[in-house]
Amino acid sequence: MSTLGGNVRARRRPALLRESASKEGLLTRRHGADYWLIVIAAALLTIGLIVVYSISPGLSESRGVSSGYYISRQLIAVGLGIVAFVITSQIPISWWKKLTKPLIVIALVGCLVAAVTPLDSIYQAHRWIRFGGLSFQVAELIKLAILVGVATFLTTQWRLGKLGDTKATLRPLLFVLAAIAVIVVFFQRDLGSAAVMVAMIAAMAFVVGIPLKKVMLIGGVILIGLTLAIASTPYRRDRLLTYLHPERDCQAAGYQACQALIAVGSGGVIGLGLGGSVQAYGYLPEAGNDSIFAILAEKFGFVGVSMIVALYVVLFTRLKRIIERLNDQFSRLFVVGFLAWVSTQAIINIGAMVGLLPLKGITLPFISYGGTSLLFLMIGLGIVFQISRYTTYSYAEPKVARADQPNHDNAQRRRVGGAYNPTIVSRPRD
Amino acid sequence: MDELKKNVTSSAARRRLLFWYGILMLVMGLIIARLFYLQVVRYDHYRQAALSGQLKQYEIEPTRGTIAFKDRDATVPVVLNETLYTLFADPVYVDDAAEVADKLVPIIGKGSSYGDVKSKMETKQTRYVVLAKRLTKQQSDAVAKLELKGIGTREQSYRTYPQGVLGAQLLGFVDEEGAGRYGIEQSMNKAIEGKPGLLKAITDAAGVPLVSNKDNVEIVATPGADIVLTVDVGLQQQVEDLLKQGLDAAKSKSGSIVIMDPTSGAVKATANYPSFNPAAYADQADISAFSNAAFSSPLEPGSVIKPFTAAAALEQGVVTMNSSYYDPSFYKIDDATVRNIEEDGGPGTKNLSDILQLSLNTGATWLLQQMGGGDLNLKGRSAWHDYMVNHYRFGQLTGIESYETEGIIPDPAKGDGLNIQYANTSFGQGMTVTPLQLAGALSALINGGTYYQPYMVESVTHPDGTKEVKKPKILRQNVISSSVSDQMRGLMQYVVDKNNRPAARAGFQVGGKTGTAQIPKPTGGYYEDKYNGMYVGFVGGDQPQYAIVVRVNEPGIAGYAGSRAAGPIFTSVSNLLINNFGVTPKTQP
Repeated sequence: MSTLGGNVRARRRPALLRESASKEGLLTRRHGADYWLIVIAAALLTIGLIVVYSISPGLSESRGVSSGYYISRQLIAVGLGIVAFVITSQIPISWWKKLTKPLIVIALVGCLVAAVTPLDSIYQAHRWIRFGGLSFQVAELIKLAILVGVATFLTTQWRLGKLGDTKATLRPLLFVLAAIAVIVVFFQRDLGSAAVMVAMIAAMAFVVGIPLKKVMLIGGVILIGLTLAIASTPYRRDRLLTYLHPERDCQAAGYQACQALIAVGSGGVIGLGLGGSVQAYGYLPEAGNDSIFAILAEKFGFVGVSMIVALYVVLFTRLKRIIERLNDQFSRLFVVGFLAWVSTQAIINIGAMVGLLPLKGITLPFISYGGTSLLFLMIGLGIVFQISRYTTYSYAEPKVARADQPNHDNAQRRRVGGAYNPTIVSRPRD
Repeated sequence: MDELKKNVTSSAARRRLLFWYGILMLVMGLIIARLFYLQVVRYDHYRQAALSGQLKQYEIEPTRGTIAFKDRDATVPVVLNETLYTLFADPVYVDDAAEVADKLVPIIGKGSSYGDVKSKMETKQTRYVVLAKRLTKQQSDAVAKLELKGIGTREQSYRTYPQGVLGAQLLGFVDEEGAGRYGIEQSMNKAIEGKPGLLKAITDAAGVPLVSNKDNVEIVATPGADIVLTVDVGLQQQVEDLLKQGLDAAKSKSGSIVIMDPTSGAVKATANYPSFNPAAYADQADISAFSNAAFSSPLEPGSVIKPFTAAAALEQGVVTMNSSYYDPSFYKIDDATVRNIEEDGGPGTKNLSDILQLSLNTGATWLLQQMGGGDLNLKGRSAWHDYMVNHYRFGQLTGIESYETEGIIPDPAKGDGLNIQYANTSFGQGMTVTPLQLAGALSALINGGTYYQPYMVESVTHPDGTKEVKKPKILRQNVISSSVSDQMRGLMQYVVDKNNRPAARAGFQVGGKTGTAQIPKPTGGYYEDKYNGMYVGFVGGDQPQYAIVVRVNEPGIAGYAGSRAAGPIFTSVSNLLINNFGVTPKTQP
């Protein structure tokens, strides 16, 4: 019924169909972008800069570098991020679909280079490519490649009506998950980044409309993989134990978790003030990047840090609003993936700082010190910003162009879930 | 219309999006709730946990006071502070121990080995290892210039001794923990060390206070008091030299000299040999050298006690300067025999001058008999005990500002063989005294009969500028009458004139008495061939100006230890005092 109804409605508005007949499948005209994205990102970046600046003395003291080291590097990272945002916000969305294969190739080459880069004395993992004083975290590049690659792949499968097809859709997805397990979890020893990638794929697969049973299958595979990853590595087991019993071992394995809780808790209602953080002075490891949320909580207290959490909520909501109003499947999946990226990273990071999740070496989006993460988040945000120019006025869902529809029966179409559901493409404003 | 509504709300894709978004919001809500729990509900708990890690208390070390000797009327510092630097490493931040050691060893210089420095920096279990101590400012600056990661220097105050080893046992030293050990450093520690300040501060993880914290509490340290001793720097130096020369000549391994102002009790010099170097006290093999033997090593003094016995008898009126008696040259008392030395002149009629000049043990015993009414008995013993302990203050601490020992005076009424025991004490055996006690008692004997408490701290200058000047303290007047004191000076001058011509000087009073003390065996009885040589004496013009006590332990030369070993040292000291240290000649020729 619904299928028929949709078709009927679409036929009633031939003008719209004509307008959307472009190859990209964009059904709407370009209009003004969602400037809220810039406002929120600017707020988060500014908070990050101010906090990194204020704890620079403590950070540099404990690492033995000059006091301007951290803030100047963070300023450069933010500058580069803004440039990347400006560029990507101007690139047509269709380009990204064409860039899919080159991006995946670049990401794989990046992994290889990281694998041959000599190990760091502190972190025994092949996560970085280094040249001169700069280091580049390959995982961030992989995230972008997965975002573009999986969005393109699922769009194609959706268009072909093969979302429920185990061979055509599920297998390639499982293959990508396996690749993540091998490259990111095993070689790069970066379970946190892997979790973000998996969340991105899972969110896109879920929202695009892969049948629930198959989504659960993917979920099961992920769960088994996660169990294996934790069980096979002693330090991950430690972290899990520490997470389950936070005050079990405050001096050794649980040190960072305990110090994070102390930083958060001692902030109180209004915090110690911008210059008041003590935990940044050598007590809390990674105070500038992975643990920055705890420092925020110490400085600004419950009132301040709730407002920062609220900023993320506003960002998520803005992204959700964009998703709801997109009728181009690729764009839609891209924003879904981006929302998964930002939200998973924020939740894993904050969750660890407040003792809800085990510790993971992962940055707080747009706030943490760390150039690569910031750069790629700004690239992603730039693309989303561009996409936001093509939203409809009201709830929308992608529609397969007639020419692209495969020739199969309605029952098959129904099985592929929401992909073929009719939509109100546009509705006059009340 | 119904269909339209249904489509809007029931679209599967949108439902999934909303479902996921709902979960996200739920998690964010959970985070806010958790933050509320941690920051509002459990705030006190985490505030305490934070403070227990961050709030540290530090003692601020006060500056230790200085110590000075007198140089006639001026003062000369003998103990000062200097700031030196301790070189340390945090091995965690030392990347290349070999390279860092290569750079550091030439700066540290002597006493450092490349291998040692390198291996210390390779012990990664600790965050603090000391690589070298006592570096100078220049060395510390040179290290700072290298800008090595994980290497630092820390200021530390050390004692420095501008006069070297001079008066080491009087001064003592300051140990690694900053506590005064031995000598003035220990006995006056409370005044010298000052009051530590307190810093209560929020610190970084390494313990460095964060200046930004407004709640930091700082109580400033109060520096220690500066001390000036009565000891004369020039006299001390020369007396130490003379002692060493005298001991070498007498083939003795150890000895002491005390020089006191008999009109005040002020110690003018105290020398002991062997001594030690306070700047390198840690290298001292035999720690007995730290002790000031002149104050803390009581020994049997021998015949130097005889003037005290004579004065006690004169004062009690049981003998006079004109008394004489028949000396049989030995007495049998209980089961023992009191004998004299060979040059006693044999049996015959003797008087007080003879007793001192010939150093007659039988004479001293006769004096004790007179105190008992002509016989050795409790009355005599008690009278003599009263003089020893209450008049001359033997067997009691003098109260000087340093560690000392009181020695032993036997009880007159308890024990066996009391008569022979007390006969022994009349000539200085069977009792022990320190050279300092002797100097104090001798001063009373010759100054007209006033016992001044021996002291060596002349003034204490507190950090607030107030100066506490010590006044001589009289512990007892009429130890003996001034007429008996006059007589004793005369008798002791007679002994010097007769027995020790090199010490006698025209126009000056020089008096003295030798002592050759037998050394008791630990198993009882005395060694046949071991003696300690003693000499007590004084120099002055119309009034005595210096009391002198010399002790030479177990000299290795033949002859009586008192006259052959201690005597020459006394003579050189008395002549030194007359020549160089302001002894006023007699007004009447």
